[in-house]
Amino acid sequence: MTQTMAEKLLTRHNLAGKEVRAGDFLEARIDGAMCHYHAAEPMHDLAIEAGFKDGLPRVWDRSKVYVLLDHHQPTLSQKLADENALVRREVERLGIQCFHDSEPGIAHQMMLDYGLVRPGELVVGNDSHTLGYGSVNAGATGITRADMLYVLLYGELWFQVPESIRVVLDGKQPDYPISKDIILYLAGQYGDDFAQGMSIEYSGTLAPQLSIDSRMCLSTHGVEVGAKFAMFGMDEVTRQFVSARTELPFEALTADQGAQYAKEIRLSVDDMPFVVAKPHQFGNVVPVDEVLGTRIHQAQIGSCANGRYEDIEIAARVLKKHKVAKGVRFLISPASQQVYLQCLKAGLIETLIEAGAQVITPGCGICQPRVGFLSDGEVCITATTRNFKGRKGSAKAEIYLGGPLTVAAAAVAGEIVNPKEVFSGL
Amino acid sequence: MGFDLNRLIRGRVWKFGDSIETDAINPYYLYPTMEELKLHTMEVYRPEFPREVKPGDIMIAGRNFGCGSSRPGLVLREVGIAAIIAESVSRLFLRNSISRAIPIFVVPGVTSLAEDGDTLEVDYPKGVIVNPATGASLPFNKYPAGIEQIFECGGLLQFAYERYIREAALAGRTRQEKQE
Repeated sequence: MTQTMAEKLLTRHNLAGKEVRAGDFLEARIDGAMCHYHAAEPMHDLAIEAGFKDGLPRVWDRSKVYVLLDHHQPTLSQKLADENALVRREVERLGIQCFHDSEPGIAHQMMLDYGLVRPGELVVGNDSHTLGYGSVNAGATGITRADMLYVLLYGELWFQVPESIRVVLDGKQPDYPISKDIILYLAGQYGDDFAQGMSIEYSGTLAPQLSIDSRMCLSTHGVEVGAKFAMFGMDEVTRQFVSARTELPFEALTADQGAQYAKEIRLSVDDMPFVVAKPHQFGNVVPVDEVLGTRIHQAQIGSCANGRYEDIEIAARVLKKHKVAKGVRFLISPASQQVYLQCLKAGLIETLIEAGAQVITPGCGICQPRVGFLSDGEVCITATTRNFKGRKGSAKAEIYLGGPLTVAAAAVAGEIVNPKEVFSGL
Repeated sequence: MGFDLNRLIRGRVWKFGDSIETDAINPYYLYPTMEELKLHTMEVYRPEFPREVKPGDIMIAGRNFGCGSSRPGLVLREVGIAAIIAESVSRLFLRNSISRAIPIFVVPGVTSLAEDGDTLEVDYPKGVIVNPATGASLPFNKYPAGIEQIFECGGLLQFAYERYIREAALAGRTRQEKQE
């Protein structure tokens, strides 16, 4: 029988050893478990709630559990410092081998930076944006804390095989990243749940031109449109990225010719306008031209969606010629120390600071009300993951989502502008 | 303690729109403790909700309920919500609800079955939601047996523990047999 990538992934990982189709339930074997702060810290309490009076009795495989203290590094309060200390004790007690403790950054970026995810693997994480590893041809998805407890004990988890949706992207990659515009545009056209519970397979003539950074943005944002997986096929770009980071063998995932898709969506990026999501939902998308002149107080680039080299590089290109507008706070947070270093070596950080931007320690804080709170009535445009009401503090603040070029253009103009105005002549 | 899906759930309806996000259900950035969350859950959509919700009430909502971050709806159970019924549910919220044995039902069309303040009944054995005042009803798909079992155990945590005890007992017996 012909299979989609998701069907092939879950058939290979089916403990019962049988072929599975969309809709089937199964117990799957897990290749890797990413536990960030939110999973690691409450896990002890959850284990006690489950009935284990001394906490979690074991992990199923000490080499397959990855613990990263990403959300709180360095810690911003006594409480968090104490919680991190508990995590360190638990990691020691359980003998977990891979522990990123004293390194700030976003877990998802570090998982990829350090080659902890390989093509064809089934990797789960305690965070909705775990889907991002689909960028390197892995089957990766977010699970709940209770699911994680189960995975840590047994290395297994129940799944329902998702239906698949093919997102065919055609056209030419311009001289700046467009992944954020693509996913926002699709959410605007088809709704913020157009892939609810489904597996997205990205393909089309644009796909091989997309950098791993751009693919990470599209795969990460799969969850913003409801997806269970959001995967790219295997190609030379993936092979180079992965082989530079891991020597472990892997078996890539490829959909069969004639596999059954529940839906197909096509987009030609050559005709796509710059878009933004208006407050307060991801799918509330309009062309940027409909909100021109909206005064902004804060601009941001960062997160597991847009904290990568190419996102920061485009901002630096804009800031090479323009200063950050008076009255605008422009926050930029590289996704990891590795990305930070890459930007630093390329001279981007110097450009950003000279032009008036603030560079924030790598981590998740920029995408949450942890770093850079908004006050009542303030407006923020951000290349991060979400624009829900209150996401940056005040529920009376307004958050627009846009691509890194749109954000950088707004930061220098002091208001939302069509990035073409700023970008021409760069 | 297990959750009995087969018990009839009957309650007063609170009706919400589409794409209700977990930041609204659990605004934990601002209110980190459960006691605070209970006073602020859903207030960005309905400021009166935390004040006026009563044990046994039912929440109905449009499509994509519980989108956003992976956070369970434990606070909704804490304030007394007896069931959540939505046109569609974000996969992580659904998974979270199953994991913690919080009754949640995906029922396309439910927002046209009842208005705010109406009464609804969930009859799981029959797989039907009923508005007793109008007599209107809608069918829904029951969970597969494996998931019903998680509810019966009281959630995935307890399910995981029961498996551990079962396997430890089995391993103990095998060891004993080998020694004999």
